[in-house]
Amino acid sequence: MSRALPGVLKSQPRARQQTARKVQSSIHGWIMILPALVFLTLFVFIPMAYVVYLSMFQSNFLTPTMRFVGWENYYHLLTAPDFGQALTNTVGLAAGMVFLSLPLALALAILVNMRLSGTSVYRTVLFGPYVIPLVGSGLMFTLLFNTDGGLVNRIVEIFGGHPIDWLGGGQSALLSVLILSIWQYTGYYMLVFLAGLQNVPQHLKESCRVDGGGLWSTLRHVTLPALAPSLFFAIVVCLIQTFQTFDQVYVMTGGGPDGASTTLAYYIFEKGFQMYDIGTSSAASVVLFAMLALLTWLQVSFSNRWVGDES
Amino acid sequence: MNAKRLRLRLTHSGVHIVLIILCAVCITPLFWMIRTALAPSADILSSHLWPNHLAFGNFVTAWHAQPFLLFLGNSLLTNATIVACQLGTSALAAYSLVFIPYQGKRLVFFTTLLAMMVPMQATFVPIYSMLSTFHLINTYGALILPFVGSAFGIFLMRQGFLSIPKEMVQAARVDGATEWQILVNIVLPHAKPTVATLVLLNFVYHYNSLFWPLIATNTNNMRVVPVALSYFLTQDAGQSLQWNLAMAFDVFAIAPVVILFLLGQRYFVQGVTGVSLKG
Repeated sequence: MSRALPGVLKSQPRARQQTARKVQSSIHGWIMILPALVFLTLFVFIPMAYVVYLSMFQSNFLTPTMRFVGWENYYHLLTAPDFGQALTNTVGLAAGMVFLSLPLALALAILVNMRLSGTSVYRTVLFGPYVIPLVGSGLMFTLLFNTDGGLVNRIVEIFGGHPIDWLGGGQSALLSVLILSIWQYTGYYMLVFLAGLQNVPQHLKESCRVDGGGLWSTLRHVTLPALAPSLFFAIVVCLIQTFQTFDQVYVMTGGGPDGASTTLAYYIFEKGFQMYDIGTSSAASVVLFAMLALLTWLQVSFSNRWVGDES
Repeated sequence: MNAKRLRLRLTHSGVHIVLIILCAVCITPLFWMIRTALAPSADILSSHLWPNHLAFGNFVTAWHAQPFLLFLGNSLLTNATIVACQLGTSALAAYSLVFIPYQGKRLVFFTTLLAMMVPMQATFVPIYSMLSTFHLINTYGALILPFVGSAFGIFLMRQGFLSIPKEMVQAARVDGATEWQILVNIVLPHAKPTVATLVLLNFVYHYNSLFWPLIATNTNNMRVVPVALSYFLTQDAGQSLQWNLAMAFDVFAIAPVVILFLLGQRYFVQGVTGVSLKG
């Protein structure tokens, strides 16, 4: 409003009054943002900076002495086979989610988006697992994967296979974690894609059909391009979420057998909280943070959704 | 024309069948949980799809075996406090970011963005030692304080506030309302869906989270539901675990979120799609 009437507000006292109001409003602005900023500083920024600091030392909770070692902890990570394994496991899990969970979620979204009768029931059931605590579903899946008498092995036997030691096997342990993650998160990504599908221009779909394009070519030339932003968002969120995988591993496998299902987050927890090797744990934390920061930065700079509209 | 309709019918039936199968897969773990919770001890790992007779007594036994109400009370108290605090700090911060013009606002906004990149798994060591300096480990304070400020909450609120016409706020200011009055009487009532989304999403998120409570508490009387649930596996390692009781306890543990989800589904969906779609 005031911007629309600059001429009227030219007189001196008015201008002074305006400056006073500006100062006052910026005080209000800072006071209102302060509580959030103080708590974020105390519990996010300072701890993060302190982790970077700690990663340069060798220390543990038990003795107060800290020995400065510079980059040594990072060199140690580079050569430590258990860290390499944790990193490989985490990346493998992320790849599994991106290449299995996301396509499945996209297919589900397209099917649900056909709006047949009962769609809302399907949507509710498919999204449901997302709200269940991972500890709870981890416990359920531990039972399902039980070696003798678990439902999964029962089904394996029906198809003529031999029972598998799912959670105790060197390769199947991580696979079990992946299966739980797919069950837990696919419904969430389905909703992300469903939201994206609302942006697909209907007239383009129709004109593609009129031109004789089949279901497949409509999907490839109209639906998928329009979904590109949602796809990008889903991939990044999926990577961020998977890089932080902890609960599933803690409940189902405890990182075993022999580190075969240890993820990055579980490695940090194990080193820091169970072995009190704060230096190594902190260095690994910085690696995790760097990966997540890169991903978040990618998401923000490409999507522009969060930063836009800042007039 | 008839052939075309037949083809459409067939496609639709196919889609229904695929969706029903996938929904069944989705429900199976939950079904198996309830089935096992109702099974008599001899029948737990048997091949019966449904126990021959139902042992409802398992629920009673599980209820008495662990102080579930204590765990639930701890969870509800700390989570409700976290959500209330987040609502307060996030609403104030979002109001400041959306409706008040001042220098340095962009910087503040990007600073909060930065906070979203830092996971608890990376910072728990300093937070633990900081809280233990103030003797707060194993208290409600330790469970609550780290989550009073929430970058995610600020974003969600900001998105809700952006859709409120700025003229409305201007008009109230001209009428002499203070910023606080405008926030409470005008902005928040217009952002009810966003508030509901924030409350539900963050409540469920914190009710479900295991990592920090696992680290910050170490006695039975401070345990929250996920930690208590995880102890089922670590305590009775492997075969001696009584699966029917564990599953009965699991039913208790997930019931609150399932009920909340069924009641407030709309807001969950809004939360997910709102964050991914709109800005």
